[in-house]
Amino acid sequence: MSHAVPSSEGRGATESRKRLLDVVDLEVRYGAITAIKGISFHVDEGEIVALLGANGAGKTTTQKTVSGMLRPAAGSITFDGHRIDGIPPHELINLGVCHVPEGRHVFPRMTVEENLQMGGFRFRTPDQDLLTEVLDMFPRLKERFTQQAGTLSGGEQQMLAIGRALMGKPRLLLLDEPSMGLAPLIVEQIFQIVRGINANGVSVLLVEQNARQALTLADRGYVLETGELVLAGSGRELLADDRIRAAYLGEELAG
Amino acid sequence: MNRRVSLPPWVGRLLACLGGSVVLAMMVGKQQGSKDDYGLAFREAVLNPRIFYFLLVGVLVFLGITYQDVVRRYAGRPGVRPLLAGVLILLASYFLMKWYDPLGDGKLATFGAAVTSTPAVAPVARIFFGWLWWVGLLVTAAATAAAIVWRLRWLAWASAAVSVLVGAIAVAAHSLAVSFAGGIDHSFGAQTALIGNLVLAGAGVVAAMSRVETARTREFVERVMAFRPGLPLVAMGVVLGVLALVAATWFDPGGKNLTLVDTQHLFAGSALSGVASAYLAWLGYAVFAVVVVLAATAVWTAQKTLGYVAAGGAVVAILVTLATLHDISATATKAGYPGSAGEWQNLGTGGWVLCIALFSAGAGGLIAARRAPVIAPEPALARGSGALGRLHQVGTSTTLLSLTLFGVGLALFYPPTATAFWQQALVTDIGVYVLLAIGLNVVIGWAGLLDLGYIAFYALGSYTTAYFTGSLPVQPPIHLSPLWAIPVAIAVCLIAGVVLGGPTLRLRGDYLAIVTLGFGEIIRIIAVNNPGDFTNGPRGVARAVPHPVIDLGFIRFEWGGSQLQYWYLLLVLLALVFLLFWRLEGSRLGRAWAAVREDEVAAQATGVNTTRVKLLAFAIGASTSGLAGVFFASQVGYFNPQNFILNNSILVVAFVVFGGMGSLTGAIAGAAVLTWLPDFLRDQVPSEDRIMWIGAVLIVMMIFRPAGLIPARRRKAELTGLAGHDPSVDQDLRAVPAGEGV
Repeated sequence: MSHAVPSSEGRGATESRKRLLDVVDLEVRYGAITAIKGISFHVDEGEIVALLGANGAGKTTTQKTVSGMLRPAAGSITFDGHRIDGIPPHELINLGVCHVPEGRHVFPRMTVEENLQMGGFRFRTPDQDLLTEVLDMFPRLKERFTQQAGTLSGGEQQMLAIGRALMGKPRLLLLDEPSMGLAPLIVEQIFQIVRGINANGVSVLLVEQNARQALTLADRGYVLETGELVLAGSGRELLADDRIRAAYLGEELAG
Repeated sequence: MNRRVSLPPWVGRLLACLGGSVVLAMMVGKQQGSKDDYGLAFREAVLNPRIFYFLLVGVLVFLGITYQDVVRRYAGRPGVRPLLAGVLILLASYFLMKWYDPLGDGKLATFGAAVTSTPAVAPVARIFFGWLWWVGLLVTAAATAAAIVWRLRWLAWASAAVSVLVGAIAVAAHSLAVSFAGGIDHSFGAQTALIGNLVLAGAGVVAAMSRVETARTREFVERVMAFRPGLPLVAMGVVLGVLALVAATWFDPGGKNLTLVDTQHLFAGSALSGVASAYLAWLGYAVFAVVVVLAATAVWTAQKTLGYVAAGGAVVAILVTLATLHDISATATKAGYPGSAGEWQNLGTGGWVLCIALFSAGAGGLIAARRAPVIAPEPALARGSGALGRLHQVGTSTTLLSLTLFGVGLALFYPPTATAFWQQALVTDIGVYVLLAIGLNVVIGWAGLLDLGYIAFYALGSYTTAYFTGSLPVQPPIHLSPLWAIPVAIAVCLIAGVVLGGPTLRLRGDYLAIVTLGFGEIIRIIAVNNPGDFTNGPRGVARAVPHPVIDLGFIRFEWGGSQLQYWYLLLVLLALVFLLFWRLEGSRLGRAWAAVREDEVAAQATGVNTTRVKLLAFAIGASTSGLAGVFFASQVGYFNPQNFILNNSILVVAFVVFGGMGSLTGAIAGAAVLTWLPDFLRDQVPSEDRIMWIGAVLIVMMIFRPAGLIPARRRKAELTGLAGHDPSVDQDLRAVPAGEGV
């Protein structure tokens, strides 16, 4: 979305990047249970950051808190210099934080077109150029343009959910398990698309269980375990890390 | 080991079918017995010859189920549906409708027996009432069916011709017999028989001309409607108008049915105004001809200006007709014609039907002028403009619009011709519930919130009106007329909606339903308990709520003279609410509602303030209910907490679901049909059974048409595939899960 976001210098120039999202000592509780126990991480402008972890580690909770669907019990979330913790999602989206919730969540009885238009709900008048741009990115959606979203395949629905988020002109895209329940080939496509989106200057906070692919894609990664950060590093470092390989990639440790 | 004897499956099926028909036969029959009549009623019901008809139907159903593969192969063929429709219409005409009012129950059997036993009646009538009616039905139905099955084109044509002939004979025989017997006859049996026969003939023509294997009724209808937008309305106007001008009664003092020509003779040389005399002599025909020609030309050439001119002409023509009607009745009363009962009285159906005809023709012209969008075959992307603006239009053809406009014409000009009973039913049963259903449709259909306490807001509106008109024991600070109470009641219900909705709307589905149900009961019980002597408890209001009054100084109008006045007030309210909601549905808020209903998480993710949007739906629905409450209170005058029981809340939910959740026209149709039905059944089935029949209708409807009478576009698409594009994909899409409902 080149016109939506000042184009960043692309991948690689980590040092010169501006900090976009800064999460400090975040704590989230569900009643008496503390799901997130004081984690800190950040996403720089133009980065892809992966949050990894097993089931119940708190990845989705973290992301829901960032997107405003949950309120933090303690800690701060800063986006582009503004405190955003406690801001509800419908206001947060006006700052350019778009969330693709876990489990796709398209509007099943709306057409693909209407779904995409709903993505631009925050603008009074829908942006036709942006629609064309998104459709160029997802040729499959173009084919299914007048079809009901509920009739799409899982992969197409995931593409639609991402496309819909793009219609909100995000600066930071929160992707929650885009690979969930999809065939490996489709997952590959989705990750290609995420890379493309990032190349257009959109920062991405990616929650994944599919550690290998996520880390191949991401600039940096964080590993969550029962609400705490246990590892952080660049994608390549983490991919090479023995503990990661043992825990998430299912590889036998040599020796 | 005990080994169960297993019967072949068809035995159970046959027994079920026969048992079902016995039950149905008893349901339909007279049930005058009591628990200590020693089974007399049962015996009467069972021994009645009617039971054999029902057993025959049971056998047919059994055969249909057993050989459903064969049936299915033929059931889809072109002509089958009109064949069934024609047979049903004819059956209704022969067994349900009246053929001659002065005689006993006036049905065909009674009248026919009298005619055939009178040798002096014209032979055509004796033949028709003797055997031709049922022989004609059997022969033409069987011949058309055979023509469809074996694709015999000549037989289909022949059968169509015979049907037309039988229909014409039916009307001729009826009018001969009636003119022989004399007396006033308002029955529609013969006309219905003509319509049924014409539909049967249509089935024959379709069977003879169609070359496709499976009928595509919807496509066919759409093609007809899209041929020249507005043409069907104009055609309808022509037919009705000619009937009104030539055959219908224009003035019926003391039981004389005078047609337009007769009326002209009657008023020749009277004090009738110039315009009215001219109208009776030639102007009536002239304005009708002008409007019809204008509309037809506009429709045929798709001329914008001409269409508007035709619509304007229709309005003028209707006004002239109404002026004439008023003048006729007023002059007759002033001159003391025998049987004249006052202004707007004794006007048969002619003038009103002509108004409907003119309205229909004008509406046709308007459609031609507006060129309502037709389903576009090309993908939506190819059409340039903003997609969201079109949300309304996709899939909207002129069919629904035409039907709606015709319905408006009927709503405007039919009620004056109805009996007092039906006028009362229209206002108190049908109209108010239509308003309630439109309001609840916002909550249930659009925002997807199940509200089971909807009637509570109706109660709030009613009691607010009663309070501010000084009809409760506690006097208000300022007295208001019921019309001024409308904004107050709306405000009260709006606030009540927000107060109830604020804390509860985070609940979903079943939980919200329970909370609202509790709220509804709380409001009713508060009204019963009479806190602070405010509501006057179960006795209801202390003094009658006054009728609304419009007082502008120079002109003063008070409602209450007749139910008709309330009907027109209700029409105005309905129109306002309808227009408002129709705009809302396509608005940004409407889209937000749709999003929340479809998927709340996704709605939140796309930037919809879900709490606010849901609260708005709740409050808007509540205030509509409050508006209905104001109307109700001032119309009935006296009411008590019994009017606001849970049952009524459930009824309104049923209306919305029956009509088609999320569809504005559907909510109207659902409420209208389901409130009309009990009153209609009053004369047709034993009164204790009425509710059972309504239940049966609901069940059948939900099985065969779960999306409702007039489904919302989304639900329709969900159940039958995409906005009618490619029929071949329908089958696959049926497999899509239906979602969570409400």
